[in-house]
Amino acid sequence: MEVANGDSAAQGQDAAAHQSEGYKLKFCTVCASNNNRSMEAHLQLSLAKYPVISFGTGSLVRLPGPTITQPNVYHFNKTSYDSMYKELEAKDYRLYKNNGILNMLGRNRGVKWGPERWQDWQVGVPRLQHSKDSGSEGTEGGLVDVVITCEERCWDAVIDDLLNRGSPLNRPVHVINVEIKDNHEEAAVGGQGILDLANSLNAAAAEERDAIGATSFDNGNAASRATFDERVPDVLAAWQERWPNLPATWTVAWF
Amino acid sequence: MATPTLSVSDQIRQLDDARKLVLGDVKYYPSVVKGILPIIGPSAPLELRRWGAEFLAEAFATPALPNGEKETMQPYVLTTLESMIANDREDPQVLRSVIQTAASIYPLAMRWIINNGYDTITWERMVAIKQKILRIWDNAVPSVRICCIKFAQRVVLAQSVATGSELRYGGTLDVSLDKVPPNHQSLDQRTLEAEATGLLDRMLTVLQESSDALVVDATLNCLSILIRTRPTTSNRILNAILNFNPLKLANSPLTPKSRVMIKSMEKTSRLLLIHLAKRDPHNPNVPRIHQYVERMMRTMSDIFDGSRKRPMETRNHDAYDAKRQRLTPAQIQVPPLAPGIHSLAEVFTLIGNDALRTFDISQVPAPLVAKIAVTTLSRLDPQVLIKAVNGIRGRLDVLSSAPPPELNPNTAPLGVDEDDDDYEPDFYQAEDTEQILNKLDSSPMVDESALEGGLALKSFHLAQPQTLTAETALIAGNGTVTRVVEMMKSLEDPATKKYKAGFSRLAASSGTRDSWMTILARLATRSSAGLEDISVKDEDDPSASQSLSNNIRDVLYSYVMEDFRRHIDVAVSWLCEEWYNDKLQQKSEGDRPLHYEKCCLRLIDGFLPYLHPQDKVLTRFLSEIPELNKTILSRVKHMCRDPSVVQLALTSLLYQVMMRPPVKEIALDTVQDIWTDFEDARPMAAKYLSKYRPGFIEAARDTSSDNPGPAAAPAIAA
Repeated sequence: MEVANGDSAAQGQDAAAHQSEGYKLKFCTVCASNNNRSMEAHLQLSLAKYPVISFGTGSLVRLPGPTITQPNVYHFNKTSYDSMYKELEAKDYRLYKNNGILNMLGRNRGVKWGPERWQDWQVGVPRLQHSKDSGSEGTEGGLVDVVITCEERCWDAVIDDLLNRGSPLNRPVHVINVEIKDNHEEAAVGGQGILDLANSLNAAAAEERDAIGATSFDNGNAASRATFDERVPDVLAAWQERWPNLPATWTVAWF
Repeated sequence: MATPTLSVSDQIRQLDDARKLVLGDVKYYPSVVKGILPIIGPSAPLELRRWGAEFLAEAFATPALPNGEKETMQPYVLTTLESMIANDREDPQVLRSVIQTAASIYPLAMRWIINNGYDTITWERMVAIKQKILRIWDNAVPSVRICCIKFAQRVVLAQSVATGSELRYGGTLDVSLDKVPPNHQSLDQRTLEAEATGLLDRMLTVLQESSDALVVDATLNCLSILIRTRPTTSNRILNAILNFNPLKLANSPLTPKSRVMIKSMEKTSRLLLIHLAKRDPHNPNVPRIHQYVERMMRTMSDIFDGSRKRPMETRNHDAYDAKRQRLTPAQIQVPPLAPGIHSLAEVFTLIGNDALRTFDISQVPAPLVAKIAVTTLSRLDPQVLIKAVNGIRGRLDVLSSAPPPELNPNTAPLGVDEDDDDYEPDFYQAEDTEQILNKLDSSPMVDESALEGGLALKSFHLAQPQTLTAETALIAGNGTVTRVVEMMKSLEDPATKKYKAGFSRLAASSGTRDSWMTILARLATRSSAGLEDISVKDEDDPSASQSLSNNIRDVLYSYVMEDFRRHIDVAVSWLCEEWYNDKLQQKSEGDRPLHYEKCCLRLIDGFLPYLHPQDKVLTRFLSEIPELNKTILSRVKHMCRDPSVVQLALTSLLYQVMMRPPVKEIALDTVQDIWTDFEDARPMAAKYLSKYRPGFIEAARDTSSDNPGPAAAPAIAA
């Protein structure tokens, strides 16, 4: 039996509607090529006014080519979505129109300049030069609270890279994988799921934020007494019930 | 900067502007930090304290600001930090940021006191903050506790000895115990190291005692750098991880939350271990790591997949119990397929029971399936069968007439599988080549017309192959044979000489030279046996040699002749096959061409001229080939024209006489002929004849005395 993803997703989204202003968690979305899944999620999160940046963990940006053995390959951080768009449009407009690549690149070039590689990201270095990117507001410091990957091996790559960096910044970061198949349709569904997750996490974080000082810890109820960090597993478990087809993994790591 | 008359939100707005300023140019950090310290102190409103603490954490963490700047900044920040953390009822978020800042400052402060031993006040302040953090560690809320853990990790890192050879991180991660001079006025190496050891143990107890994924993950995820760069800590940490059981929670009933937590702890510890094994593959602990990882993955699949499998099994079981129905022709309905894509199984599925549909028949042993199928078919009402077959036929007709499915761009996979995930920034050269090739491939070469009319799959017809003539078949056959021979040559000198002799051995079972040889010989002898016309027997007819069999014979012949001493075994087994086939042909009706003698004579004629006196090969050849006759032996006789090989010819014949009784007589006849025909060979031939045919020699002597000449021989032989 197929269980539809996001049966009661509306719940989480309604909650978010009330908090369009106020505290915002900072997000980072990650997939292999920083083109389809992470960019769909980047767009959806930025439309919901979340501070968001995005990366890819692959060694190169790979887009489908005329055959499976002829992918279009680009360097991270060096090629813009716009130049990819123009190159593929010139190469074979019909092919890249029909397989949705031009549509995707067209969307991406409206979101930010080009694909960025996770491993080349200098965490904590200011990102003021990215001020034109969607969702850049709030990410100027070059730090995020939550990293959401779209595939298990990207999650693995992110964790391995963070371990390798040696956590010099002493700042905790929640790293969550939401498993999404790499095609346009699944990316759109996955983007919805990620937005729902972001809303739920942000609601918990905002609640903690609103609790004033230690006094509320003595007076408040159990849920509001719990800090955001410790509520993440609860939030994720509840979200997973709503999105059973997007299996998730979570850990808390360090920048 | 901020005046007390401003509201808190206005102040925050101003502070945000100040932050933008330093983010744009880090040289403003020292002055901005100094400027905000008075307004974020313990008595300031909560929002300002939160903002200020977070700003300090950011300032001391950012790699944009050089460590030298941070080091000179820290002495005057510590006072504020100390006063903020002193408040026992401080807001957890302020505490978090303060502790993060302290963790970033700790190595800076230590480097500062190492180089500025006079400034004990600053160091004492740092020590006081450390004591406070270590005190609140146990009782803090989890959010704060993980920051305490991280702080402790930085203390351990700074107060343990670093590896000499390990790569340098260039930042505060490199501050370590070996940087402390032995006679420092306020730092004592042994005390510092003892403290680090104690703190590490305290950190690691979490792995034994806690099952809170947040705290466990936060601990695990900061251990890597310690293991890799502080060798004194490695073994203790690794033992703690390998003794850690992330599945502790699995003993209690699984809730959605505990699932998330178990999965998280298991995956986090697994990734850390894999990361360590990858970074240091020669470490003696790596086998233990692999063992642990494998065990953990097995247990995980038991816990999570095991619970998932069971309902499936019970469902299948229900299907077995479903009452069987008798089918009548009227009952059977073949519903047309719904539009869309169907599997082959769906096309042939006639039942409506969902549980039965999911049953995997391949799980039933094939003989049982066959038995059931046969019994069912034998009892089946023919009407039901016809109706079902027609139904399926109808479905197939519908499917074949349906337009081919169009590629849906929304569900077509985008992922182009990557060769590896490893970060290898030095691979740019290869990647550039890939890029160039990729460009070359697609732009000019693509035939535009091929893509006209969209991307829908077109039906593709393979051109009819050219009709196969006997000639092309022959050429192809010869090509194959040549290749087999080439390969056979490469298999020369079989390492193990172990083969089964006899006609019933399997030709291609071992892939050795012998087995290929057998295949070739059988191809030559038997493949077209019985198909050849009798006229082929005529040797002068050019078409006779134009059969594949004869070509193979040529190939075999030249192969043997390439080195007949070494390939004599090939010659013998080939002749055996020829002989056997001739026998088979003789048994069957009609006059069939025979090959054995022809081939045998060709071979012997081929190598006889090259024999030298010591060649044992002739003896072997004569004794091993399946049949000897006068014609063959006459060739041996003619050898004796060359006096140097007379002895060889005669000993070979003698061997036949002694060892091969059926040919004893014709062999002796040949010796006799040699005696008669070749003067030079007489002394030796006489020696043998006197032993085996004493009468001949005597008769010959007798006749030679009255009538010298060779004419006597036939009289005696007769």
